[in-house]
Amino acid sequence: MKPFRARSGQIVARLDPAEAGVLGMLLDQLEMLLESEDAAGDPVLARLLPEGNRGDAEAAAEYRELTETSLRSGKADDLAIVRAALPDGGGDVVLDDDQAAAWLRSTNDLRLALGTRLEIAEDTEPPEDVVDEESQQLAVYYWLTALQGSLVDALVARRAGRR
Amino acid sequence: MVVGVAGPMAPARTPDTGTDESIDPDRPWVTIVWNDPVNLMTYVTFVLQDLFGYDEEKATTLMLQVHHEGRAIVSSGPRERMEHDTSRLHAYGLWASFQRDA
Repeated sequence: MKPFRARSGQIVARLDPAEAGVLGMLLDQLEMLLESEDAAGDPVLARLLPEGNRGDAEAAAEYRELTETSLRSGKADDLAIVRAALPDGGGDVVLDDDQAAAWLRSTNDLRLALGTRLEIAEDTEPPEDVVDEESQQLAVYYWLTALQGSLVDALVARRAGRR
Repeated sequence: MVVGVAGPMAPARTPDTGTDESIDPDRPWVTIVWNDPVNLMTYVTFVLQDLFGYDEEKATTLMLQVHHEGRAIVSSGPRERMEHDTSRLHAYGLWASFQRDA
């Protein structure tokens, strides 16, 4: 991949075919998850749709009732924007401000989902050898981390340049 | 939080300083961001600046507090506004909650 960078008012990257394929697959999985009903049972959904109030169950229930539907649909809208800008079979990714913001939030959601499944901790390290499914998923997680990290850096650099 | 694995150095500080969000006894609710092992430090800082208009120094201070102390108060005010701030942070995947100030 060529990581994200700011270029002529846009945010651009280049993904190879495998990367674009993996990203597309992860987006599909996240979309399915966001459409599913049971927030309480799934630790990934619990992390994507967290408790609004940690001490007060009633306040938390009220908050969830008020906000969960639009939180889910906001995330679904973001991932639709990502999918629309993702080149089939790899290639250049060229984003305007709104698209970049959607990619920022969606790549974060993907990392939260994968990170929760893999039980990522503060001291988790990238895999030394990619030998099994778990190390493969861990490698994908670290690739997503680099992708999102480059997007944050590009947005920060551009904001500094605009002042 | 984690340090990013790639990227240029952070930009220079802005010359203007943000206003301190002090806890007003007449406005007893707060929004808290909790530490988690997935969110990038640069991402948390960026989101705090974007959502609350904090300058880079203030946002970085709050982010480091989350990272080192496990949590930080990022805003305070009436309950409804804290619920709204919490939902905006949730849209960015930060682990946030609102509560009465201790």
